[in-house]
Amino acid sequence: MSTNALPAEVPLLSPDLLAQLEKLELMSRKIFRGRMKGERRSRRKGQSVEFADFRNYVHGDDLRFIDWNTYARLDRLFLKLYLEEEDLHFYALIDASASMNFGEPTKLLYAKQLAAALGFIGLKRADRVRIETLGQPVRKPGPVLRGRHSVWRMLEYLDGIQPGENCSLVQGVKNFCLRNSGKGILVIISDLMDKQGYQEALRYLVARQMDTYVIHVLSQEELEPDVKGDLRLVDCEDSDVAEITVSAPLLKKYQQTLAAFVDGAREFCLRRGMSYLLAKNQLPVDQLVTNYLRQRGLIR
Amino acid sequence: MWPYVLAMEWSSMLSWWQWGALASIVPLVIALYFLKLKRLPLEVPSTYLWHKSIEDLHVNSLWQRLRQSILLLLQLLLLVLLMLALARPSWQGSNLSGGRYIFLIDNSASMSATDIQPSRLQEAKHRVEGLIDEMKSGDEAMLISFSDSAQVVQPYTDNRSELRRKLAEIKPTQRTTALNEALRVASGLANPGQTGDRKANPYDAPVAEALPAKLYIFSDGRFPDVKDFSLGNLEALYFPIGEDTAANIGIVAFNVSRNEEQTDRWQAFARLENHGPEKVETAVELFFNGESIDVDKVEIEPGESSGVAFDLGEIATGALELRVGKADHLAVDDRAWTVINPPRRAKVLLVTSGNEPLRFALSTDPAPELAEVVIDTPDVLKQADYQKAAAGSAYDLIIYDRCRPDQMPQANTLFIGQLPASDVWKAAAKVNVPQIIDSDRTHPLTQLVDLGEVLVAEGTPLTPPPGSTLLIESNKGPLFALAPREGYQDAVLGFELVSDGALGTNWPVKQSFPVFVLNVVKYLGGASEGQATMTVQPGRPVAWKSDTTAPQIKVTTPGRATLEIPRGRLSTFHINATEEPGLYEIRDGGANDPVSGRFAVNLFSGAESNIPPRPEKELTLGYTKVKAESNWQAARRDGWKYLLLAALAILLLEWYIYNRRVYL
Repeated sequence: MSTNALPAEVPLLSPDLLAQLEKLELMSRKIFRGRMKGERRSRRKGQSVEFADFRNYVHGDDLRFIDWNTYARLDRLFLKLYLEEEDLHFYALIDASASMNFGEPTKLLYAKQLAAALGFIGLKRADRVRIETLGQPVRKPGPVLRGRHSVWRMLEYLDGIQPGENCSLVQGVKNFCLRNSGKGILVIISDLMDKQGYQEALRYLVARQMDTYVIHVLSQEELEPDVKGDLRLVDCEDSDVAEITVSAPLLKKYQQTLAAFVDGAREFCLRRGMSYLLAKNQLPVDQLVTNYLRQRGLIR
Repeated sequence: MWPYVLAMEWSSMLSWWQWGALASIVPLVIALYFLKLKRLPLEVPSTYLWHKSIEDLHVNSLWQRLRQSILLLLQLLLLVLLMLALARPSWQGSNLSGGRYIFLIDNSASMSATDIQPSRLQEAKHRVEGLIDEMKSGDEAMLISFSDSAQVVQPYTDNRSELRRKLAEIKPTQRTTALNEALRVASGLANPGQTGDRKANPYDAPVAEALPAKLYIFSDGRFPDVKDFSLGNLEALYFPIGEDTAANIGIVAFNVSRNEEQTDRWQAFARLENHGPEKVETAVELFFNGESIDVDKVEIEPGESSGVAFDLGEIATGALELRVGKADHLAVDDRAWTVINPPRRAKVLLVTSGNEPLRFALSTDPAPELAEVVIDTPDVLKQADYQKAAAGSAYDLIIYDRCRPDQMPQANTLFIGQLPASDVWKAAAKVNVPQIIDSDRTHPLTQLVDLGEVLVAEGTPLTPPPGSTLLIESNKGPLFALAPREGYQDAVLGFELVSDGALGTNWPVKQSFPVFVLNVVKYLGGASEGQATMTVQPGRPVAWKSDTTAPQIKVTTPGRATLEIPRGRLSTFHINATEEPGLYEIRDGGANDPVSGRFAVNLFSGAESNIPPRPEKELTLGYTKVKAESNWQAARRDGWKYLLLAALAILLLEWYIYNRRVYL
């Protein structure tokens, strides 16, 4: 059920997927200020080819942007304003706790693949991509990636992520916020299985006014547990024990609890303007990216 | 069900310490269960959801706890069932304990009734089988089947398999029922007879030790009450077999006779009885030699009987069969047979020195049709041919007129004016004019013979041997008597019909004389007029007279089996194999010879046709009334098999649950 290390031969991004991702780009429902000139419209007016507005000429304005045609017709000076194009900040926050190391494929691998795919899209469009894990220390942020050439660095970095970080969801999100002050798109990939609850952690992100996507990864074993007999369930993170005798009512109750859990998370996210997506590890990543995430508007 | 549970008995084979050991397994299992309960550790991503699920379930925790230890409960149930099975519970239990049992099984015709499927006899055998199963080692049982006679199928034995084997061999018969013989056979061992009066002879002891026994009677009770019988050491139990709703229409009589007015025409009569609860209307069909010749319809009220008559016209010899169209619970009495055999002429030898009235009477109709008369003189008595014929039963009747043989012949005889050679017949001196004062009007020899005006010149009063029948008496003593002799009969007339050429009596000119001669030919000659409705009940022997000289005859039974019957001592053929109702054909020679005669075997018993069981619900055996055992549970029902099956089912269920192919 559990695998300790990633199999080396599993590529995070398959060539087929890469070909599909080439055509996509990350979308944000919000328009953020970027740091550098990029390929995205900014709220700021600046230099680009995309016309935004006119305004009266004031002394000192660049003469190059005066609309001479208007001047000829109206005999007044107007300045053409163009939309500034900037880069987009894309953050992927991966939960690399021990519980993510379950499933076939493991939820962690699934998360990495997803992050890689999204990161690739971002890099390709010259966005600023940063991938981090929850358990990353405050003072050791993940690398900032930019440009197509950074794809291999990104993959290398993802490969280096190992499961077993023992860090609560709240603490991890808090650290993330401390490290990254900028705005942008944040994709949290986690199973949300935290005994202290995911709500507080997500609230931090609300405050940051980021365009947040919560991708809830659950494995087949969690969705439809195939267990029988008298069992002592041991939590892989805190060694907590639950003794169960599997019976039909128990399984039914489990399903109800799971449904309530998932619905609760979705409800929580929707109320706070976040996008929630339940990802089963049996659903291939390319399908998730090309179908589901497109529907959600994360990518175009 | 509940009464049976109350009546449940336990016959464990375990001793107390074995029971103790068995009982200690229960706490052991419980202890082992809790000691053993090692939950399989399983690492999961998070127990978060599981904890929540368990907490919710704990709301109805008692049921959950039960559910969780369902395996323990099942194991305990399994154990309890096994222990119960070891206790060998049984229902309607063992009344049979350490004793002797006599099973009387009625296999008479009425036990073939099918109101109980497959038949009453099968039901009785099934019940006895149950009782045999119930016997313990050391118990002995005897099997007796009875119809009109009793047969010890199996003497006392404790070998149960032998009892079962012999029980299976009991076959239904078509006979009537009589319990007497069976009871006497049964009581033989239980009530050993004494050699004499105990008071008169104090040293007289019973010839054997009395062996008390229980007597189980399985019958529908359709037999007369038994009188003059004492159960003595027998304890009788009567189990009635049969449903009160059984319905049956039976033919209880069927015969054929000449029409009184037109003697060349024949008539058939039958009587049917309805022994069902409802009025019945049925068709009866008459067959002659296998071909349907007439149909009639009869209506019979319940418990009543009804006659049916058929005018047959002029028919030749052959067999008649009557069938009842309506199906009922007893088949054997739905068909009946009767036969018309060719007339048989008696062979009569008249040895006389001249007796014109007698010769004349023998040549008067219908005597020549009935008898083939040979007349000879007394000289013939000395000849070897006669002696051989007389000793070889060549004649049915020899009339010695005023003469007598040295050796009595192998035939019936009539002596006229002469005593037989044996010294058992005595006669007084001759008396003159004896007055005839009486004659036996019921005897076949003298019936319809009016001797009112008959005068006799002189006669010899007879002193016949003991056991004789006096037929004509005069004021001087008997004049005509009949005495048996080794299976034959000798009649002696104490006066001469003709003496020295003159009539010694005026009888020959009276009307009664030819009648008397005809009676003699019919009775002593054994002649029949051709109907002789030969019918017997199943199992009864038939004495068949035949003119054949062959040493044996062939009898074809209704089942088309052929029997060879050797000639008997009195020149008759004794046929005993008459168990099967139906038509028996007799051939004198080979199997392809023409049928020389037939006889029919019919049940013809109102008691057997009356198949609803005896309404009194009790038997009277001598002075004891035996109540019917009404509540019969088919013998002992051993419960352990069912318990073991249940235990096995629980074991499977447990295994199934354990493997969680199914969730409770």
